[in-house]
Formats: sequence, C-alpha cells, structure tokens
Amino acid sequence: MFNYLIRRLIGTVPVILVISLLVFAFVHLLPGDPARLVAGPDATAQDVAAVRQALGLDRPVWEQYAVFLGNAVQGDFGISLKTRRPVSEEIGERLMPTVWLTVASMAWATVVGLLIGVLSAVKRGRWQDYTGMLLAVSGISFPSFWLGLLLIDAFSVQLGWLPTGGYGTWQHFLMPSLTLGLGVAAVMARFTRSAFIDIAREDYVRTARAKGVPERFVIWKHTLRNALIPVITMVGLQFGFLLGGSIVVETVFSWPGLGRLLVDSVSYRDYPVIQAEILLFSLEFILINLAVDVLYAFANPEIRYK
Amino acid sequence: MAIKELMTACAIVALAAIPTSVSAKTLVVGVQDNLTGLDPANVNDTLSQTSLRTVYQGLFGFDRDMKLVPLLAERFEASPDATQYTFHLRRGVKFHDGTDFNAQAVKVNIERLANPENRLSRRSLVSMVDRVEVVDPYTVKVLLKEPFGAFPNNLAHPGAMIISPAALEKYGKEIGRNPVGTGAFKFKRWAADTFETERNETYWKQGLPKVDGVTIRSVPENGSRIAMLQAGEAQFVTPLPPEMVAVAERNPNLEVVKRPSIVAWYVAMNTMRKPFDDVRVRQALNYAVNKQAYCKVVESGYCDPTDSPLPSLLQFYKQQEPYAFNLEKAKALLAEAGYPNGFETEMFGKNNTTAIRAMQFLQQQFAQVGVKVKVEPLEAGVEAQRVWGVSKPEDATVRMQFAGWSSSTGDADWALRPLLASTSFPPAMFNVAYYRNDAVDKAIVSAIGTADPEKRAAFYADAQKQIWQDAPWVFLGTNQLLTAQSKGLSGVYMLPDRGFSLEEASFKD
Repeated sequence: MFNYLIRRLIGTVPVILVISLLVFAFVHLLPGDPARLVAGPDATAQDVAAVRQALGLDRPVWEQYAVFLGNAVQGDFGISLKTRRPVSEEIGERLMPTVWLTVASMAWATVVGLLIGVLSAVKRGRWQDYTGMLLAVSGISFPSFWLGLLLIDAFSVQLGWLPTGGYGTWQHFLMPSLTLGLGVAAVMARFTRSAFIDIAREDYVRTARAKGVPERFVIWKHTLRNALIPVITMVGLQFGFLLGGSIVVETVFSWPGLGRLLVDSVSYRDYPVIQAEILLFSLEFILINLAVDVLYAFANPEIRYK
Repeated sequence: MAIKELMTACAIVALAAIPTSVSAKTLVVGVQDNLTGLDPANVNDTLSQTSLRTVYQGLFGFDRDMKLVPLLAERFEASPDATQYTFHLRRGVKFHDGTDFNAQAVKVNIERLANPENRLSRRSLVSMVDRVEVVDPYTVKVLLKEPFGAFPNNLAHPGAMIISPAALEKYGKEIGRNPVGTGAFKFKRWAADTFETERNETYWKQGLPKVDGVTIRSVPENGSRIAMLQAGEAQFVTPLPPEMVAVAERNPNLEVVKRPSIVAWYVAMNTMRKPFDDVRVRQALNYAVNKQAYCKVVESGYCDPTDSPLPSLLQFYKQQEPYAFNLEKAKALLAEAGYPNGFETEMFGKNNTTAIRAMQFLQQQFAQVGVKVKVEPLEAGVEAQRVWGVSKPEDATVRMQFAGWSSSTGDADWALRPLLASTSFPPAMFNVAYYRNDAVDKAIVSAIGTADPEKRAAFYADAQKQIWQDAPWVFLGTNQLLTAQSKGLSGVYMLPDRGFSLEEASFKD
C-alpha cells in the first residue's frame, strides 16, 4: 500500500508538467493584451508599453514559460499583474477560507445526504421516500443565488443574528455552508438511494436476510458498505469541485475564495494567477483521486493495491 | 413609588447614553470591486484611486462639483505660454511617518512619476515635465518641455498624489503595499477584499477627521451590499443599482442620494469606413435615437441626455443645439446620403447588464430608420483586443462601439484629446471613431498651449461646436450616480468621476 502511494505520487509529476504547459499555452492564447488591461482604457500607448516591460510581457513566450517553470519549481509563482502582490499571497489568502468552507459544507451535506438516501431506499415507494426525494429535487433545483439572498434577508437584515458576509468567526460560516452544501446534499441523497437500491437486489443481501441477519445489519453492513463505493467517488468529485471555489456563493456572501479570484484574473488576463490557480486545482484533483482510491480499500477490503 | 424610581433610573440611563456631540466610530463603505493596488502612480481604476485619497493628497484636488481646489499647494502662478508653473506650498504639513511635506518632497514625487525607468502607468500625467526646481523649502517651480495649460488639473489627478519621500526610500517598489501620505487617514491593512485606515491624529485640516477610521469592503453582489447597509454593517454603499432605489427608499433608516456625473455614454462610429464616412449618416443616427427614452430604459431615468461633446460639469462646457428625436429627418438624411432603405452594420460594447441593455435599445431605435445592427457584447479582454489590436487605422474592423468616458483630470483636454484628436487613433489612445478634423485638432492643441482660461474657453467652444456638427458619435446621455447611506451619516458624497469623498464623514445620533 505504501509503495503504491509513493508510485502514484511520483506519477503525478509528469502530469503536473504537462498541465503546466497546457495552462501556459492556454492563457497566452486568450485574446486580449494584459498590459492594456492593467494600464486601463485611458492609458497612452507609452504607458501601456511601460507596463508591458515592467511585467516582462515583452519577452519571447518560450522564455516566459522557462522563467515561470523555473520559479514555480522553487515555489515562486510570480507577481500578480493586477495587484502586483505575490501570487502565493493572493492565493494563500483565499485558500484556507475556500478549504474551510468546502469542509464545512461537505461535512453536513455528506451526512445528511447519506441518511436521506438510505432512508429513501429502505422505505422505497413510501412517504419517507417521496419526502426525501422531493427535498433532493428541490435542493438541486433551488438557485443558490436566490437562497443566499433569502438567508441574508432573514437572518441578517430581519433578525440581525448573522453577519451578511465576509470571513471570520463561525457565524460567518453558517449561511454560506448551508447554501453551498444544499446542492451537494441533494446529489448525495439521490446517488446513495440508487446505489443502495442496486446493491439491495444482490444475492448476498438476500442470503443475509435468509440466514436471519438482523435487518439493521443487513442495511448498514451488507448493503450500505457496498453501496459506498460509488458514493465515495461522488464525494471526491464534489469535494474537488467545491475546492475550486464557488463563484455564486463567494459573490453573494463576499467570501474571499478562489472561485472569484479565478474569474477576476481571467477577465484581467492576470496570467500568473490563472496559471497558479489552475495548477493548484489540478493538484487538488490528483490528490483527491488518490484519497478516493485509498478509501475504496477501506470500504471494500476486497480491493487491494499493489 | 416604584414607577418614580423606574423613571429616575431611565433618566440616568438616558443621560449616560447621550453622546458627547458626535460619537466617533469607523465608517464602513461597501463597494463592488476589489482595490487593485495602493501606489497611486500605478493604479488605473477609479475605486483604487479614490480610496487612496483617504491616505494621500495631491497639490490640488477636486471639490464635489469637480472644480479644481488647492490642497497641498496654496496657490500657483503660470507663465502665459503655459510652460512654467510655480507652486506655493502649504506649511506645517507632515506625512504619517513624521516626514515634513516640502518642495523637496514634491520634486521627488514628480521626478519619480516622470522617470520612464520607473515604468509607472500614470506617467502620462507628468510626461511633459522637463525639470523640477526647488526655489525655497515651500516653493517649487516646474518647467515643461511643451506648453500644457491643464497642468494643475493633471496634478489634481490621484495619480499625482504626494508620497512621503522617506517611505519611498524605505519601501522602494513595496510602496504599493505600504502607503504613507498626508491624508486624513493612516493606512492600517489591506487584505483580499478589505482596505482599512485609521484616523490621522495630526491631520492639518482643523477638526478633521471626525470618525475613527474608514474601512472599504468589497461586496460584489448588489443585493448583499444593500443588505449590509440594512443590517448596519456598512453606512455607505456604492454603486446602488437603479432597480434597488425603491427598496432602499422604503427603509426609514436609509437615504438614497443622487448625484450628477461626468461619465458620458456614446456610440463611436468609424468615420473612415462606409457608410459612416458620410456626415449625413452620422447625423441621421443621432436624430434616430430618442435620448429621453435612452435615459429611461437604460438608466431607469437617472440620466441626463447629452447636449455637448463635453459633460456639463466639466470646465469649458458649452451647450449645443440638441439632435432632437426626429425619424423623418433621420430618414431624409439617410436617403440623401444614398441609403434610403438603411444598411446593415454591427456594434460591440462591454458584456455587463447595462451595456447589453443599452445596445439592445439602440438596435431597436436604429431599426426604425432601416439600420440593422448586429449587437456583440464582448468580454473586457476581447474588447480591448478589438479596439487596440490594430496597427494601422485602415485595418480597424470596428464599425460602432458603445462606450463611456470620464475625464479623470476634470479638464476638457482629457475629455476630448484621447477620444477625438487625430493623434489618438488606436493603439495610441481611444479615438475609436477615427475622427479627424484639422480644425478640432488645432483647437485642442491651442487650448492646451495657453494657461489663460478665457482663451482656453474660446478654443474649446470652437472644438465642441465642430465636433457636435461632425457627429463622430451618437451622443447619448450622462448617467447619475446613485448611492445609499444610513441616515446617521453625513459628509460623505460621490464625486462626478465615480469617486467618493470620505474625509468629512461624521455620525450624528
């Protein structure tokens, strides 16, 4: 298992290299001159040229890539073209708020989604199932933008209990994590339900029941444990997506997250920030995939890695 | 007896609660975007520039009507040919780090900005400076390479605000993260979406500031920004979208403030290309647009129709005969120009809600005279590419562009020259209409070649009249600036260039 992990980690290096090249090529292919965007619409041609020089954008592209890669290896992602602050700082400032919001949202969404899913599957075709799935469909369909504003109006403006937005105390987490987690919980519930129903049809479940295993063991041990494999995949994917930041939730709750940073950087053609962020997201996905593979082995001891 | 006791207790509590005239606390301003940097000489967005006015000041500034007022300079003299300026500086002013403000500080700052090697993006404000001489500790003389009559206006621009020379020495390029100026507030902290300042106890203006500090917070969502104000987390929010005015006005604790702006909106027509090379076509399109309807539809009525190439709040503005909405006249002019059935063309602009609404409105207006317009909302980078990605005017693919402009120096020169002088064809500047009229060029150059306001006014009057007749743009409107604030706040107001003034903020309760 340990050797397997080491091999997988080493295997990520070429992947990251290829991604870095693709990302670099991609951002430089975007139409639009960053020097012009940084200098602003009322800058003279001379001002724009000065900015281009100051940002090193006047050098050949391959040279820019070499410099970027050389520095990136040493953990230096350069300076943001827009704010002229180190990229590591721009991202660092927003990374932990994004991670914590992701964790806070995933934690409750996974538990609630799983419970609703199991309940709906077990009580299939009865009112618990209908209620659960009604909730799930509503959760997926409810625009998080609107939900966020409704929450702000109720809890911040009318009741005055929670801050309207920003990052800080635990109170700041409640509304954003509810808004962000709702969709995830809904997806989880539907996913768990269908996985559970599939497994419940398997012969060994029938055998377990036939030999007199108590129903709660049948549900939690025999069925759920096997149904967990696709559910873990789903959790991993959702986790990865949320780590990329959510533009809607970050915008509504003025949350200093990575999603808005990426969008702002793209519209500003802030090459270093875009590159670093996409590399970070790729790395996150690679690590999450690895974690998901490891979790499979825990859920199902038949899966072994060599 | 019990009631009496209770009343006494209430009275005591009430007395204790009465504030000592003004209760000081921190003012929180909710804005839409993030600041992009803290070096005034190197930022280009109005928000960063105006926010830095809390910490920094220039030799001159603007009052609430965009008129030039002296700040760190008390007065100035100009040579008649506008090549030599002598500035008499205010005495007894100190930077936040204790350094004295004097002629040497002014010299250091102007030279820093003018030096091409520093590659500062606001260099054009002082690029005409030849040298700066310290006459005595409180007198500084600036000699220009060429006449420039609007030089004090350029020094009033936030890009030319004065930084502590000691701090420049200490921080070098890092000055963009450690601002040290002479303003009413001292810099405290700048994080991703928050800019914090605290009061400058030794501020040179008597009795100011009246609040403990100013915090500027970025809240991109319109609804959330209003919610912040309603919940009391902010006391001033800008901008207030027109559709939110009713919501804010219903709240008894809030006040909606409307202020005029110098942000003029127009459609530039490429005058080098058919059919826009014909002045009758351009005039016809001006007659084809109902400006009142434009203001109503696009800006919810918070807008004034344009009646000159210069916005009315700028110095040297002169009102022109409006192109009154007249479809018959428009059709007649088009027919005369050889387009009795109109023509097909395209228009691009930004991809925000307002710009899209404006372009769709114009599409509908032009359709009334048979001109079919394909509307292209573009993302900022793509639009920049379309405008500036040309080397020769003949290569320009632009037909029509919907755009807005505000003269950040508050002077007529910066409202006309970058947009309508023939030296400003892209990529040099923003003359997207590729408009060239030698008389206008001459008037613009002559107006900047003198420091005599009367002569300047005469030149700009000529330029405005000529441009208005030539109609390189479809003139639309100047939008008003909408803000909402809590009733207890006073002394905060918007400036016509979309900036705000926070220095005199105070709370009453």
